[in-house]
Amino acid sequence: MDSFSSPSSTGSSSKFSPEDLMDQLKTQLAQAYAEEFLETVRGKCFDKCITKPGSSLSGSEDSCISRCVERYIEATGIVGRALFNQSR
Amino acid sequence: MDSSALNSPELQRFLNQEKEKAMVSEMIGKLTSACWDKCITGTPGSKFSSSESTCLANCAQRYMDMSLIIMKRLQQ
Repeated sequence: MDSFSSPSSTGSSSKFSPEDLMDQLKTQLAQAYAEEFLETVRGKCFDKCITKPGSSLSGSEDSCISRCVERYIEATGIVGRALFNQSR
Repeated sequence: MDSSALNSPELQRFLNQEKEKAMVSEMIGKLTSACWDKCITGTPGSKFSSSESTCLANCAQRYMDMSLIIMKRLQQ
């Protein structure tokens, strides 16, 4: 069944199996996606909430940012569902 | 792992699946960004108004409609 985990007789100490490679790829893809998402949210919420940068973040800027992040996550869900719920 | 394992059909299938998933994620990302700009015009509230959430859903679906029209047009 699993032809990749047969004991190596060549003495090579490579420990990577295709499963390891696939796991590593999945992790890296997830990380790349998360970083891109983060960058997008930063841009959107900076535009919406920090209109006149002061010498520190005000309380209203703070709560705007929190709401903005929540709304953006919600918007992602709405768009995602709309794309796959085409009932025509 | 010797190099012949890189050609395994299992790995190919996995790569194709991940590629497709990545393309879907990218589409959702770009669409959400564009539709946010179109639909969320004011300061974000503690929930979306119904017009905001309707706009977001409409935006995504109209984008897909448009995409279809463009493809048909380019095929003529």
